[in-house]
Formats: sequence, structure tokens, C-alpha cells
Amino acid sequence: MNSPNKLKSAINLVAPFLGLILVLALFSAMPDVSSRFLRLANLKAVATQSVIVAMGALGMTLVIITGGIDLSAASNIALSGVITAYAINRGLPPLLAVLLGILTGTLVGFLNGLLITRLRLVPFIVTMGMMGIARGMAKWIARNQKIDAPLTWVNELMSKSPRPSWLLLAPGVWLMIVLAVVMAVVLRRTVFGRHAFAIGSNESAARLCGIRVDGAKVAIYAVCGLFLGLSGVMEFSRLTVGDPTVAVGLELDIIAAVVIGGGSLNGGEGSILGSMIGVFIMSFLRNGCTMMGWPNYIQEIIIGIIIIAAVSLDRVRHRSAA
Amino acid sequence: MKFRRSFRHTIPCLILLAAAMAATACGRTDSGSKPGVSRPLKIAVIPKGTTHEFWKSIHAGALQAARELGVEIIWKGPQKEDDRAQQITVVEDVISRGVDGIVLAPLDDRALIRPVQDAMRDKIPVVIVDSGLQGKDYISFVATDNYQGGVLAGRRMGSLLGGQGRILVIRYQSGSASTTERERGFLETLEREFPGLTLLAKDQYAGPTTETAYQIAENLLSRFHDADGLFCPNESSTFGALRAVQEAGLAGKIRFVGFDSSPKLVQALADGDLDGLVLQNPVKMGYLGVRTIVQYLRGETIAQLIDTGVTLVTKDNMASAEAKSLLTPDLSILDR
Repeated sequence: MNSPNKLKSAINLVAPFLGLILVLALFSAMPDVSSRFLRLANLKAVATQSVIVAMGALGMTLVIITGGIDLSAASNIALSGVITAYAINRGLPPLLAVLLGILTGTLVGFLNGLLITRLRLVPFIVTMGMMGIARGMAKWIARNQKIDAPLTWVNELMSKSPRPSWLLLAPGVWLMIVLAVVMAVVLRRTVFGRHAFAIGSNESAARLCGIRVDGAKVAIYAVCGLFLGLSGVMEFSRLTVGDPTVAVGLELDIIAAVVIGGGSLNGGEGSILGSMIGVFIMSFLRNGCTMMGWPNYIQEIIIGIIIIAAVSLDRVRHRSAA
Repeated sequence: MKFRRSFRHTIPCLILLAAAMAATACGRTDSGSKPGVSRPLKIAVIPKGTTHEFWKSIHAGALQAARELGVEIIWKGPQKEDDRAQQITVVEDVISRGVDGIVLAPLDDRALIRPVQDAMRDKIPVVIVDSGLQGKDYISFVATDNYQGGVLAGRRMGSLLGGQGRILVIRYQSGSASTTERERGFLETLEREFPGLTLLAKDQYAGPTTETAYQIAENLLSRFHDADGLFCPNESSTFGALRAVQEAGLAGKIRFVGFDSSPKLVQALADGDLDGLVLQNPVKMGYLGVRTIVQYLRGETIAQLIDTGVTLVTKDNMASAEAKSLLTPDLSILDR
């Protein structure tokens, strides 16, 4: 109506993108890499590099909206990738191996949900335990080393120069985009998605409203696991080997992406678009820092600052909106 | 309702983003890469990690070569040590950036094949250092002859014991190509040249850390208290075993040959707790890696396989200038 309100809505409009635009502008302005940074080849590379974290973030957003967390995400990715490699190595058809990988991820997630609801434990503890269990299983199955699997079409999923070439982007990137849209719709337009928000906003109220909270939670952790299984398949596709030690600490990248994108660890808040922006902020930052030849510690410090800045900005917005 | 509002904003946001990217892109396309007249060559050097002493030595060697040859170095390792996926990302990013050549120490002999192929396809030559890469999509391989290192250790052990005695071998980790070669060199030398030596244990693995090596060595030494000799194939296993030997009161009694260097190992060598260390030359590896790629870019002929040498250092020769430069490499160039 009046000008402060207009300004406020303008800020709300731009805020999720602010970080991303800042990062893009920063590196586009660097004389060393400006001519290279926004080239199609580099954008393709960054998109491909983002797939693994993005798939994980799709599931993690859902979990964080319910007020939960999945610390076993990275271990789950490693385990699913190892299972896929193992199955291909055993001579199984690649499609079956991929399904097996995704199933593994789903199963780990399902187990997380089951333990959280049946034992009435906080998700932090259950998934922290699962982090060790899944990582250990991955190492066990891989006999403490990487698994070399023969090259199949699975490894083309994350190839930057896809066949056929009219695809332009790696099949994994297209899958990421499609799934992001699907998840955004699921979150906003389906009962399942609305239940997730309801549980995260006020669990007892949700229960009193007749939502079967436990069932919903198990399903939500299983869906998260499904995305992580998919992430694991993508990780295998990219590495061309099943590596049980890969992605250590990646769960924190995934959580950071969700939080930068406006997700609240208290539950009830979060959006797919925001999480995807979070993923891309970190990917572009990493990419830009490497292109500039900056040492890793600078990159780590910048990402740390962005996490805190993004969340405090979010708080300020909320306060002014209230 | 909150979610409705932000959903409605999605599309304008996307348009805004596209506009921002287009604007930044347009402003820059004209200032693209002009064919530089006398622009110095840019070489990316990508190690397996950045914090270990070994990689700092490689960095020092690479900088030294860069200074002599008048080229520029971009030094960038994976953000997490030993993370294969992140190393792939780094290689892709330096290809995007556009460099004249890449010197790479691959974390995996297989996972890095595809990014290296991408680089060669983009006319960016790649020199592999330290660890091998399957296939032939690179111009040269600069590394330690690890087998030869094992042979040197085996001969040292044989002559220390006069060809008679019982020996413990603690391996590093299954699947590690470089250390497996060292173990093979050591074991085959004993078999070939010192048939009088017997092996008490040769299938024990030290594992990744000093701590795991310490435990394995402790267990082995309590079982074989009267072993005459001990061999370890890298720094962490050597140091872990050294701690166990010292704890068990066997220091100086058991003949102990190890691999690689660190201040504590140098001290142990001086004290006589260690009877020999086989040393690689990472400074030279970094130096030759960069020099080889620059020679290639300048159209000179290069060797496809370059051995950076191994040296046995003992208490007797550790004061020599050569041994000193290997035991405590001069890294002051990194601070300048």
C-alpha cells in the first residue's frame, strides 16, 4: 500500500536470490575469470557438480520442515553408491543395480523413521547412530577399499558431454530439475506435504488434528532416504567406482543448503526453491574460488559467513513481516 | 498464507535471476580471452590434499620450477583431504577457468580418468605425478619408483642382519598402490637375495592412521618379542610402529627400517631407534611435474615416464647435504 510495504515485498522477493546474485556478481567482476565464469561450459560443470548435494537437499528439506534432521545422509549416499557398484560388479543388469542402490537408500531412511517413532528418540541421535552404521556397512561390503565396476550407461548419467548431445545437460541434471519441481508441488499441493509442515509447526497440534504423525514421519524419512539413494547412484556415476569413504561430511553441506534457503531447524519452514538456491550458492562459490586459485580455507570461511548471514537475514525478514 | 505468497514469487524471482545472469554475462563477453602476446603460462597443480608435509614439499618444488621458468602456478587441492569426488570437481573447475596445463596427483587411478580426458579434449595437457592413472590420456608420469624403494629397504635389512634372522613386515593398507609396490619390492628382495631371513608376519595391515599402526605393532611385538627386524612402508605406519617399539623397550634392539620422513622420525634415526629410512623426493616431483608440462607446451620433447628417485638415509649419512634436503626439505619458498 505505502512505500515501506512495497520495499518490504521487494526485499522478500529478492532475498532468497540475494546471496546467489552476490556470488555470481562477485566472480563475474573478477578480471581473472570474468570471461570464463558465466560460460555455458562452466555453468554445465557447476550444474553437474550440484546434482549430488541437490538430490540430498530435496529429501533433507522435507525432513527439516518436520523439525527433524538426517545426519546419516552422507553415509547413506556412500552406502547406496557402493551397493550399486557392487551389484554391477556382480553382473546384475545396470538398471537393477540402480534400483537396488535407490532401494538401499530408502531402506536406511525407512529405518531411521521407524527408530525415531518407535523408540521415541530424537532424530539427531538416531541418524547420528545410523551415520556410523551405514558408513561401516559401506566399508564392509566394499571390503575396505573402492569397488571398480565396469563402465555402463549408469556412468553416462553424470557426464558433462551427454549422448545424445541435444540433451545439453547431463541426464542427472535434468532429473534433478524434474524432481525439484515434483517435490515443490508435493510440498505445497498435497496432503503429504501439508502434513510435513503441520508436524514441524506444532507436532501435538498436528496429532490432535487427526494427522497420523508417526506414519507420516516414517514416510518422510523414507522419501528422504530415497533421494539419498538416488544421490548415491549419481555419486557412483560420477566417480565410476564405488567408494565407501566418499562424501564424508557432505550431510553438513546438504543441511547448510537447506538452511541458507530459508529452512528452519525448529521445523515448519523451508522451501524447495530456497534449498536449490542454497545448493547453487555453495557450488558457485566453490567453483569460483577454485577458478580464482584461492586457497581452500578462504572458501570455507566464506561459506561459514554466508550460512550465518543468510539465517540472520531470514530472521530479520520474519521480524519485519510479523 | 505464507506458502502461497512465496510460491507466487517463484516465477518473478526466476526471471530476475535470469536477467541478472544475462546482464553479468553480456558485460563480459567482449573482454574474453585475447590471444596473449607474452602472457606467462598458467599451470594448475592439483595435489591429493594440502595440509600434509609431503604435499607442501610438492608445492615448494612446483613454485621453484615456476620461478625458474617464468610461469604461473595455481595450487588447489580438494577441500577435504583424500576426497575423490572433490578432486574431480577441482579438475573440472580449472578446466572451466582455462589453464595452459595441469599437473595432477590423482586420488584414484580410475575415478580421475574422465576429468583428465575432458582436459585433454580441451587441449589442456596433463602430467600425472605421484600416483598412477589408468589409460594413456596424459603426456607424462612423474613419480617415485616405489618398487625400487622397497628393494633399498630390503637390502638394508639384509645387510644389517647379516642375512640371518626373523622379520616382521607391517603393511600399510590394502588397495594402496604405492605402498603395495614398496612391500613387494621389500619382500621379493629378501626372497631373492637373503634366503636366510624368515618372515614372522607379512599380512598385517597398519591401517590409515598412526594410532591403528601403533596397535597392530603393539600386538605383533607382544607376540614376537624376539623378532630381529621390522619394516614399515610409509610415514604413519613407521611412526606408529616406532612408538610401539619404544614402549616395548625394544628400541635399538630390533633392526627397524621405515619409509618417508618427519621430525620425529629424523630424531629416532639420530638416536639409533631407526636403522634406516627410505626417502622419496617430493620437492623434485613437484619441480619436474611443472618443468615437464612447460617443456611440452614449449614444444620440447619429454619423457613419458620420469623417476624422481629414492634414497636410503641412515645414521651415518644423515648429516650429508643431500640427506638433509630430503629429511627436512626447505619449504621457505612457500612463505614468500
